[in-house]
Amino acid sequence: MSTSTLEKPPSSAPAKQKVILVEGNEAAALGVALARPDMVAVYPITPQSSLVEHVAKLIADGKMDADIVDAEGEHSVLSVLQGGALAGARTYTATCGPGLAFMFEPYFRTSGMRLPIVMSIVTRDGITPQSVWGGHQDAMTVREVGWVQVYCETVQEVLDTTIMAFKIAEHHDVMLPVNVCLDGNYLSYGTSRVELPDQAEVDAFMGDKNVNWHVALDPLRPMAVDPLTGGSSGKGPSTFVRYRKGQCKGMQNSLRVIEDVHEEWAVRFGRRYAPLVEDYRMEDAEFAIMTLGSMSGAGKDAIDEARDAGKRVGLIKLKTFSPFPVEALIKSLKNIQALGVVDRSVGFRWNCGPMYQETLGALYRLGQATGKMLPAQSFIGGLAGADITTAHFHRVIDATEALLGGATMSTEPVWLNEKD
Amino acid sequence: MGAFNTIAFDANKCDGCGDCMTACATAKTGTTEISRSRLQIAGNAAEGFELALCRQCGDPKCVTVCPAGALGKDYASGVIDWNGDKCVDCLLCTVGCAYAGIALDEASGRVAKCDMCDGSPACVSACPHDALKLVTTSRIYNEVGDWEDLFAPGLAGCQGCNTELLMRHTLRRVGPDTVLATPPGCVPGMGSVGFNGTTGTKVPVFHPLLTNTAPMLAGVKRHYKRIGREVTALAIAGDGGASDVGFQSLSGAAERNEQILFMVVDNEGYMNTGMQRSSCTPYGAWTSTTPVGQGTGSGGLPSQGKTQDAKNLPLIMVNHRCEYVATASTAYMEDLYDKLDKAIAASKRGFAYLHVYSPCTTGWRFPTDQNMEVARKAVETNFVMLWEYTRAGGLRFTRPVDEPLPVTDYLKAMGRFRHLSEDQISHIQGKVVENLNFVKQMAHRA
Amino acid sequence: METTKYLVVGSSHAALEALTAIRMHDTDGSLTMLTRDAHLPYSPTVLPYVVSGRSAPDTVFLRDEKFFARHQISLRRGTALKALHPARNTAELADGSQIAYEKILLATGASPAIPPIPGIAQVSYHVLRTLDDATKLNAAMKASKQAVVMGAGLVGMHAAENLVKAGAKVTIVEMAKQLTDGYFDATAAALIEKAFTDNGATILTGSRVVKLAPSSAFATPGATITLESGATLEADLLLVATGVRPNMDFLTGEGAAVERDKGILVGERMQTSVPNVFAAGDCAQAKSFYSDTKVMNAILPDAAEQGRIAGMAMAGDPGIKDYPGGIPVNTYHFFGRHAISVGSSKVPEGGEVVTRFDEASGRYLKVIFHEGRLTGIYGVNEFFDAGVMSQLILRRIDLSPVREHFLAEPMKSAREIMSLTWR
Repeated sequence: MSTSTLEKPPSSAPAKQKVILVEGNEAAALGVALARPDMVAVYPITPQSSLVEHVAKLIADGKMDADIVDAEGEHSVLSVLQGGALAGARTYTATCGPGLAFMFEPYFRTSGMRLPIVMSIVTRDGITPQSVWGGHQDAMTVREVGWVQVYCETVQEVLDTTIMAFKIAEHHDVMLPVNVCLDGNYLSYGTSRVELPDQAEVDAFMGDKNVNWHVALDPLRPMAVDPLTGGSSGKGPSTFVRYRKGQCKGMQNSLRVIEDVHEEWAVRFGRRYAPLVEDYRMEDAEFAIMTLGSMSGAGKDAIDEARDAGKRVGLIKLKTFSPFPVEALIKSLKNIQALGVVDRSVGFRWNCGPMYQETLGALYRLGQATGKMLPAQSFIGGLAGADITTAHFHRVIDATEALLGGATMSTEPVWLNEKD
Repeated sequence: MGAFNTIAFDANKCDGCGDCMTACATAKTGTTEISRSRLQIAGNAAEGFELALCRQCGDPKCVTVCPAGALGKDYASGVIDWNGDKCVDCLLCTVGCAYAGIALDEASGRVAKCDMCDGSPACVSACPHDALKLVTTSRIYNEVGDWEDLFAPGLAGCQGCNTELLMRHTLRRVGPDTVLATPPGCVPGMGSVGFNGTTGTKVPVFHPLLTNTAPMLAGVKRHYKRIGREVTALAIAGDGGASDVGFQSLSGAAERNEQILFMVVDNEGYMNTGMQRSSCTPYGAWTSTTPVGQGTGSGGLPSQGKTQDAKNLPLIMVNHRCEYVATASTAYMEDLYDKLDKAIAASKRGFAYLHVYSPCTTGWRFPTDQNMEVARKAVETNFVMLWEYTRAGGLRFTRPVDEPLPVTDYLKAMGRFRHLSEDQISHIQGKVVENLNFVKQMAHRA
Repeated sequence: METTKYLVVGSSHAALEALTAIRMHDTDGSLTMLTRDAHLPYSPTVLPYVVSGRSAPDTVFLRDEKFFARHQISLRRGTALKALHPARNTAELADGSQIAYEKILLATGASPAIPPIPGIAQVSYHVLRTLDDATKLNAAMKASKQAVVMGAGLVGMHAAENLVKAGAKVTIVEMAKQLTDGYFDATAAALIEKAFTDNGATILTGSRVVKLAPSSAFATPGATITLESGATLEADLLLVATGVRPNMDFLTGEGAAVERDKGILVGERMQTSVPNVFAAGDCAQAKSFYSDTKVMNAILPDAAEQGRIAGMAMAGDPGIKDYPGGIPVNTYHFFGRHAISVGSSKVPEGGEVVTRFDEASGRYLKVIFHEGRLTGIYGVNEFFDAGVMSQLILRRIDLSPVREHFLAEPMKSAREIMSLTWR
């Protein structure tokens, strides 16, 4: 597995951080603790359970000062946090698959109320056919609900991104909830060497808490929160449309904020992650493959091998999936001639992977700008915990390379694990 | 100033024993001559007993006709005071009073009238049958009148609805340091949360999901507790959201003993959205989803209203062993206020649940001036029972009805039961008895 | 010129109730009370007790200055209404000033009617209608040894009793054949008479005074009273209590447009024949309960009721109800006994009178029924609730089902009906 750390730490890097060996769920829990939320609400679900167990233990051991609410279900978990946030609390939870589905109603509402709640999705496939194994189907299914969604590649990135997520969510120009997605099984249980940032440094990085300046349930500044809106109040622009446009603006603002926060993180902690779109060996690439999450490690290994074999291929990894980083992606796509997109979930409507489907939108923009019609193929793999190996990626690379030679784009996705 | 305590007489409970008159004569004249009592029981066992007693009128004619300024209403106590030094014994006051409330005491040759014994009437404590009661409901009016009404004026409830009364009273009592949750239903429907950028209250208010009132409030309350601020978390919710789709989250919050005051306004259905059935809708009731027709409905049973009995949500809450659980009715405001006070206190320690029965003029189909009467009939027939539960004291009836009216007295007061067959009525009457016995057993267990 | 929205003339029960009724509906419309009396409001009914000394003059006031301040009422004392100019909505006062009003209430009450007896102008005599009259009579009474009271109405009887108790030798001269004529019947009057004679008073009923002359038989100015029979009486104190007449002299000139009979004629809402002018109390002549005839019913409870209706009418209070018509009601306390009369003393055609008299106890009851309904009830030493009896009459309640019970125990039986009917 290659490292995501693209540059050496600057000379002003802080004192050496403590090095520990933890699974991804524990890394997330440690990140949460460092971000100092006031309130955590939990309900266990595989493969998230050990994450909330770690949080509970940190609180029980006095290593984390937060109110923990053991709610009776995910619906209440998110509801409790909404109440807490409206009272000014920094809040956190984690879920996946069925739990995410069950909390859908408050989930939708969290973004509408612009509450900067951070929630890890320890991604899980399903819901039916039943599976407790990893896959992006849960997070992908709710991608149209107005949360910022970022995907991690490594255990270290899980820890670092969890902290950054609070800062992004609470940014004045964003004020939106953030999902930190970590792949079930691969990242949740995968154990790795991790550098643990210093609490004082994290405190300095986080700055002031900024949760409910815009909407609050506070007797000192009473307001009606989320009253009914009509289509038009007859007094200027529709209240509803005004709120919706505001959400969209917050999403767009988050692209810049995500970049800024990642930059600040890199300067302070010495670990630099591509905030939106990462180009791997794309300098002179003729074609590329696109990945998301933990699969990217194997993908990069396969690229290295293909490069060694003389193929001018690179890898484009999305970290930020929602909002979709169109402009950043177009920059990565503009010099290549063919693209293979690997999804870990299914887009039922278009018979392809969701990331592929979203990328088609970016390709249209690219075509508008350059007149280029970039051929692209959808690959679906890693469902229900299946591994996507370098061998699978070589199939992806070869099939994408074939597009260069004039092969037609298939309207059928390539199912990578179909015969595994 | 405003309302006053008063002595109430329930003729149905009086057997003419005369203990009240003896007590009055003893207290006021030092004799046991009942003719000298300032309250006089008239009538007989056959036709019933009646009462002559000063009503302490708000517009007292005895005072207006007194030429000597010897009578005057005390606006602190409400009592019409008689000043013997000024009185000239002209008896004109007995001309003014149409209620025989002031009369000649022949033994002293002077008029005499009830002075309420400085607030603890001897007659009331002497009555062995509860026929005389000191009604202290005025306390509510007088105290509440001084509290700030924290709702905006002019909520848009249906004509004759008692929920606005309930909401205003409740929020006044709970006070301004409150966060109020009003989940979808009649309460926000009448404008408590406001519309399009306006607000309906002077306290922070929100419109939670139908499903998550309790946990959202729990989050609010928990954070204020964490940062050391005293804030009351109050829900005023409907029965549908609480007993049906929001039940899980309600139960969870109760189990966690969240410090919330959760009030359910039970109008026995989804009345705000067009009178659909909820699990609190009683057996036989017409609703727009349990209509009356010629065919068959739920379970293949004839379509003659709801075919299942109501879920008893407050009893379920008792089984959460909450800090406090009580049922109440707007027809018994004193009882309601007593419970509200206890519930507020309990909500500082944990989960407090108040279930208030709220007849719906629109959905239950009765005239808009009959709301209190329907609410009262529900209690008088034991269709609704008023009780409270605490962990220490268990369950206890606060207003036991020992000789209930037949349930038909309640059923016939409204249109939603108009279609009931004899069989259905006997089912309901049987259920009333069964429910009563069940709650009595729980009460005995305490 | 001073202006006021409401001008209330007079300061006794009718006027005071009008103030309350106006303020119930109109909390800040300008309101002025005008009275010829120099004192704060008091009731003429209390005056016999001021005479007797039972009530100190400074304790009888029904309202204090604070009342007027609290209700923003301008009180002008000691100034009489001189003339009413209804066409201009203006009142002209005795001091020459004028007040323009929107609505005016004439609650000016009555004054003693002085009979045109030869010589009356030359003698010193007392009347009793004002607090100053009462104070003067109280002082004179203490020195009186030999007093004559002309008129055996309730004012005269009260004063006579006081004089008796003060130790004077008292003679009561009454033109009618009985005492308290018009208030109580002959049987009751006989009981009253006996109480007086037992206490040393002399009662001369059916006697007319034909001449009065100053008497020098006493240290203070006295009077020699000559009766129709030729007999003479010497009095060191003469009280003229031969009735009252309504105060309405100010209705001259333009004011004469206000229709009058014995008093100022008013309708069911106390309105006079002239717009914006109302009248109530002892100066008003209003509908009787028993017929459509307008009568003088100068009793305190009626004055209060009329004043209230007038106030509501003036303020436009929509809660107003028509005046049901007055019924006579009197209570009279004498030598520790009491007499109560409620309703008409006339027996209507087809009516029935039932009396019960127990000479030993002096308890007397007289009940008048018409078609099973009560029209009047009288009692001496037989207490019943006059207010409840009034309601039985006003509500025309059929008593035939409980007739025997009613006659046996009128108070108890009336209270039972009250409980069932309007309590």
